[in-house]
Parts: sequence; C-alpha cells; structure tokens
Amino acid sequence: MRGVKAIFIKQAKDMTKNFSVLIMFVLFPVVAFGMTHFVARGNDDISDTMFTTMMASIFVGMALIQSACTVIAEDREKKSLRFLVIAGVKPLAYLLGIGGVILTASVISSFAFGYIGGFGQGEFVAFMAVMISGAVASIILGATIGIYAKNQQAATGLSMPVAVVLGFGPMVAQFNERVESVVGIFYTQQINVVVNDFSAGIAYPLSVIWINIAVLTVLFVIAYARKGLRD
Amino acid sequence: MIKMNNIVKSFGAQTVLSNVSFEAKQGEIFGLLGRSGAGKTTIINILTNQLSPDNGSHRISVSLHETGLMLDEDGLYDRLNCLDNLNVFADIYGISHKKSSEALERVGLGSSAKKAVGQLSKGMRQRLALARAILHNPKVLFLDEPTSGLDPSTAQGIHQLIQGLQKRGTTIFLTTHNMDEAVKLCDHVLLLHKGRIVEQGVPAEICQRHGAIKTVPDLEAVFIKMTGEGLS
Repeated sequence: MRGVKAIFIKQAKDMTKNFSVLIMFVLFPVVAFGMTHFVARGNDDISDTMFTTMMASIFVGMALIQSACTVIAEDREKKSLRFLVIAGVKPLAYLLGIGGVILTASVISSFAFGYIGGFGQGEFVAFMAVMISGAVASIILGATIGIYAKNQQAATGLSMPVAVVLGFGPMVAQFNERVESVVGIFYTQQINVVVNDFSAGIAYPLSVIWINIAVLTVLFVIAYARKGLRD
Repeated sequence: MIKMNNIVKSFGAQTVLSNVSFEAKQGEIFGLLGRSGAGKTTIINILTNQLSPDNGSHRISVSLHETGLMLDEDGLYDRLNCLDNLNVFADIYGISHKKSSEALERVGLGSSAKKAVGQLSKGMRQRLALARAILHNPKVLFLDEPTSGLDPSTAQGIHQLIQGLQKRGTTIFLTTHNMDEAVKLCDHVLLLHKGRIVEQGVPAEICQRHGAIKTVPDLEAVFIKMTGEGLS
C-alpha cells in the first residue's frame, strides 16, 4: 500500500508538469465544448450530444492508452523503474499507482464531457459509468503496450494503430452501419450506444465493456508473465 | 557480507563474466576495477538481482531494500524537483521527508532542493543520485562509477562522503576505472579484465607484489602488467 501511495503521489506531481500527457486530458473536452457550442447548437441536422460522444470515445480510446503506455515506457527507458523495484516497489503496486492517477484524471475529464453534453442526472450517472469503465479498459491496454515497448518512441508506434481503431472506430460508426456492427464489440463504441439511447439502460453496454476488460486483463497477465517490468 | 562464487554470465555468444569469485567484508570499501566493458556493471546487476547468472551463486547478507544503488543511468525524474525525487523514495521506505532534506544537505544540494532535476548539471545529478542511494542509511551501498565525468573538486566531495559513510559502518561496493580513486578509497580491490579476475587484494599489497610502488602504490602499472593494456 505504501508503494501504491508513493507512486500515486509521484505520478500526480509529475503529470502536472508533463505537458504532452496533460494536454490530452484538457484538449478533448475543450474541442467537444467548442464543437458543441459553435457547430452543433442551432444546427437541426446535428445532435447536441454528437460531438461530446465523439470526443469522449476518442479520448477514452486514444488519450488514455497513450498516457498509460508512454508513462510506463518512459520509466523503463530512463531506468527509473529499476530503482523503484530495488527499493521494494512491487510491479502491481507500481501499475496501480500509475493507473490510479490516470483514472483520476480521466474522471475529471469525464465530468467535463458530461457537463458539456448537458445530460440529466440519471443520464449523467450512466455516462460516467461507461466512461470510467472504458477508462479502466484503456489503462489496462495501455499498460500492456507499455510492458512490451522498450522506450517512448516504441510505445507511440505500438499504441497508435490500436488507439486509432478504438478511438476513431466509433466516430466512423456514426456514418456507416457496417462499421457500426464491427466496432460494436469495442468498449469505446459503448459510449455511443449509451448516449444514443439512454432509455435502453446501461446493462448491455457495461457488460460489453467488462467483457473487454476481462479479455484485456488476460492479455495483460500474459504480457506481464512474459516480459515483466524489467528494463 | 557480499559473496560471489564462480559466477558465469554470457550475453548471446559473448561471455562477460568467467568464474568470478570474491568476498567483500562488512564495513570495507570494496573496489571493482577494470576498463569499460570488463563486466563491472554486470556484477552489480547480478548482486542487485537485476540479472540472473548463467552459473554460480551469489549472496548479500542483507535484504535488497537495505542496499543503496547509484548507477551511471541515474533514473531521476527530470520534471520533479530534487526534494520531490527523494520524497518518492522516502515514502516507499516509510521514512520522514525530513530525511530527504538531510540527505540533500549531506551531498551539498540543500540550496537546490526546489530546483527541477532537468535543470541540474551532471555533477549535481550525480550528487542527487548519491543522496537517493544513502537516503535510508543502507547497510550496503553499490556505486557504479560514482565520479565518472566529474570535475576534481566534485569528485573530491564524493570521496569524502564515501569515506564518511564507511566510518558509519556502511559496506561500500564501488566500480571505477580510476586507479587513483581506488588506491585512495578502497580497502580491497579486484582487477577485472574481459570478465576474468586478474588480481585481487589490498591495493598496497598487490602493488608491492608486482613491484609497482613508486611514491604511492601504482595500481595502473599492475593493471598494465597483468593485461598488457592501459586503462584508457
């Protein structure tokens, strides 16, 4: 527990000074706000929540995967992880500390998306539930990529194709039914599913997300067993 | 305190350590000397469980958490300030943040506590890495080329700190390719060349053994005699 707390505090301080990571948590809500207010509002052809769900999906699919994997890859590349492990930090404690900060930041960004979307109270809770569950999935996926990547450059190279599919898939799905049927299995698409029809409830989307989380956890365990966190 | 028995380590077809055996006693400064690529860092990596040997055994009589480590790659967090870098480890060890300030004072970085690590000179980074290594008063301290690339006065400061730590009972295991540093600091040295031990013992005694005493014991002359090669 001491290790988790130490890594959480370290990562929280580091993230406030890491512009390239911090910007991802600010940029997507700002773009959603701008597009919603200046493009969607007053335009009968565009739903008021369209840009919120679009940016929220891209945020969960891209920003969180990128953040998790680059943070881990940087600590490996600079050999910081080696000193933590020798000081007694268990790999799971390290990953919980890093993941905890990214999850906390994503909750703040998700609140911003929820506010911009103008959801009612029940809708807001449903939206937050899928966003937080999606964030958990992305952090696990990002950590898996971070374990495989030797450095930050490799982390970006490995994560980008995955992030593009998961982040932009739901956006393309809004205009193409075939794509929609394919990306329906992705956790990022469930944000669209929930927002498009709040009355249908969140049981089905949440179950899809948690199946994704289960599959990603298995991938993470395999990656960790093979590569560990050694640099 | 620290023991290695017939350690063998290869990376692919290249053997980097061949039957390396030695013992470092409690409270002594044990020096591992050799050129770059001799296998010095590999020995530290094996002793700190970052690498597994292909053959042989090794043992440290304290847990890994009771050791301190300073490597060439310092692993410091560039975006955090000096004090925050040490506080991360103070939190991990469960010791007061006051110890972080004290460690900074000991290495002469007290006035730079709030400075971002990314803005420090190489010498200051070395001193901060040393402060992190001694933060929890380790029983064994591993120092990999602690004064490499430093100006003489900074190196002198680090030498004094190392000698002070020894007086407090810390066992110090240091690697260097600076023979003068080894003669000045070490109670026992091991000369390593291409992964093999070519000589070991008390510096003055091994220089005597090889007729390499001028005004001061000349370990470099011993090294050249044993390997046929200089250090640089």
